[in-house]
Amino acid sequence: MTKKVPVFAVEDLHVWVGEKEVVRGVSLEVFPGEVHAIMGPNGSGKTTLVQAVMGHPAYTVEGKIFLNGEDVSALEPDEKARKGMFLAFQYPVAVPGVTVASFLRAAVAARRGQDVPVKEFRKELLSRMEQLEMDPAFAGRYLNDGFSGGEKKRLEILQLLMLQPVFAMLDETDSGLDIDALKVVASGINAAATPERGLLLVTHYQRLLNYVQPHVVHVFMNGKLVKTGGPELALQLEEKGYDWLEAQVGGGA
Amino acid sequence: MASTALPLTTPFASLADPGPLSRALGEPTWLADFRRQAAEAARNAPLPNRARHLWRFSNPERFLPNQDPMMLGPTPAPPPWRLDEELSAAVLLSGATAQVVHLSQEAQRAGVVVAPLAQAPVQEFLGKAVPFQHGFLEALNAAAFRPAVAVLVPPGVRLEKAIRLRLVADGLSLPRILVVLGEGASAEIVEGHVGGSEGSQVLGVSEAFVGPGGELRYDVVQRWELPVTGHLTSRIVLAEGARAQVALASFGGTLTKVDTGVILQGKGAEVETYGVALGAGNQHFDHHTEHIHAASQTHSNLDFKVALAGQARSVYTGLIRIEEHAATCEAYQENRNLLLSEEARAESIPELEILNEDVRCTHGATVAPLDEEQVFYLKSRGLPHHQALRLIVYGFLDQTLSRLPEKTRERIEALVAGRLHGEVL
Repeated sequence: MTKKVPVFAVEDLHVWVGEKEVVRGVSLEVFPGEVHAIMGPNGSGKTTLVQAVMGHPAYTVEGKIFLNGEDVSALEPDEKARKGMFLAFQYPVAVPGVTVASFLRAAVAARRGQDVPVKEFRKELLSRMEQLEMDPAFAGRYLNDGFSGGEKKRLEILQLLMLQPVFAMLDETDSGLDIDALKVVASGINAAATPERGLLLVTHYQRLLNYVQPHVVHVFMNGKLVKTGGPELALQLEEKGYDWLEAQVGGGA
Repeated sequence: MASTALPLTTPFASLADPGPLSRALGEPTWLADFRRQAAEAARNAPLPNRARHLWRFSNPERFLPNQDPMMLGPTPAPPPWRLDEELSAAVLLSGATAQVVHLSQEAQRAGVVVAPLAQAPVQEFLGKAVPFQHGFLEALNAAAFRPAVAVLVPPGVRLEKAIRLRLVADGLSLPRILVVLGEGASAEIVEGHVGGSEGSQVLGVSEAFVGPGGELRYDVVQRWELPVTGHLTSRIVLAEGARAQVALASFGGTLTKVDTGVILQGKGAEVETYGVALGAGNQHFDHHTEHIHAASQTHSNLDFKVALAGQARSVYTGLIRIEEHAATCEAYQENRNLLLSEEARAESIPELEILNEDVRCTHGATVAPLDEEQVFYLKSRGLPHHQALRLIVYGFLDQTLSRLPEKTRERIEALVAGRLHGEVL
């Protein structure tokens, strides 16, 4: 019997911001077809965790990061991305002067390892945009420049659908969305939740999880995963808040 | 201000008499007189000096000719030029000659004159936008210029296709361009600077006059080879209701100083100036722009962007002057600098002289390093570091280029892309 390989794994990951240790020993495995959610109070280090995994240069990292069984710990963010790792940013940065379409075409070419003919790319892009109820004019706008919160989040999901990663981390993709936008974004995430792919949703609230059913829910506090359970754990947190758990895990968190 | 004595050593002695140069070029009397007056002005002009305002950041000695400016050297064959776009006219300025390579039938029928300056009826305009008194280098150009071309567009003639001037740097070049648009005329001039080798120097002057209600698009694209040292001065004079759009693009040369400006002479005149500079290695750029509002209800807008890699340097000084009698004018000026390395440096100095209170005038200037968050974002999408940087720089410059007409934009974008893929990043 062959052992199942996780699409994504971290082993004893520690992350420092300057002198401060923000992530204090995290181990996690996500198998193909699984959707995991990491929930936790503000300031617990969730964003630092996913940004460090992607390779943000501001962080010092110790521990191992695996993608499809391959150790990618030492790779640059672009190398990880080309191998199929993806991070949907909580606050995507604007790049004025670069249109969504030209950026995405370059990103798709980088991920696929070859240029995509303009016509073919455009057809695919417009189809994905329609799926996310985006105006075609959006493609000609400068990347995240002057975008509303909802537009930024849709664009992150559009990239997820266009780049077809092996494993995707979605950092608070639900924040700043009204209910209609949340439904559209959730449908995009569900479309990306294929049997081959692993997804890790970082979220503060239960509300996204009403539309995207996670297989595993982790609670992240003070730089550690303090509890892991099924979807019911998210509901418990929604009902009781994080204080309940903090009291339960006490100083161990 | 103290004037510095001219170093009238052997190379400059011929400034005493530009007659031989005029005769060698077969010029008419009025032009020989012009050169003589200019030579006299040059002899009496103070040398550019670092104590003088616009020379603070660039060593003027490096622009002084390293050979006799009056001596006609051998004329090497210019590099091949393939015309791959439809043009109203094409002129090759190389060595001592301005050769009209192409003049469209449409332009000929309309009475457009594109000719070596000595053969054109431009006596009343020559030296009026950039007078001898502008400075030593400008007076020197007036005394010793060649090659030179004049473009005259008769009143009411609107040229759809551009007039392209290709100026080839080789040895010491002192090119001069004179453009005159009649009332209601319209044209686009593309002044393209190319060529050069070790020791090449360029001292160029361009003058343009736009008649009432006329429209001029003027593009100056500098892509010299790296060893070139060049100084370009240009002024455009706008009559009542005339409009100009100026595009500046500086890519090449070791040391480049550009002094460009528009004089809004007539009521209701308007100008938009867009510029980009992209430097790397040890390149040094010094750009000065002037928008002089000399009449009421005039409008100017300037957007100039600079991106620097390596140890490149840029200085930008931008003057907006609104004369006392020029009421209800509007003027905007923006200069942004993007530094792609820790060693790159940029200075940005806006200068406002507002002598009338009934105006709207704003300016903005920034010098900023590359945003690491932008780089991380693009890299997280699979773009390698260099490609991420190129995209950021391209976007930064393109915000300005996007305001240009499509063809101009495409032309400059292609040069930006080539430069980014080749030597800069």
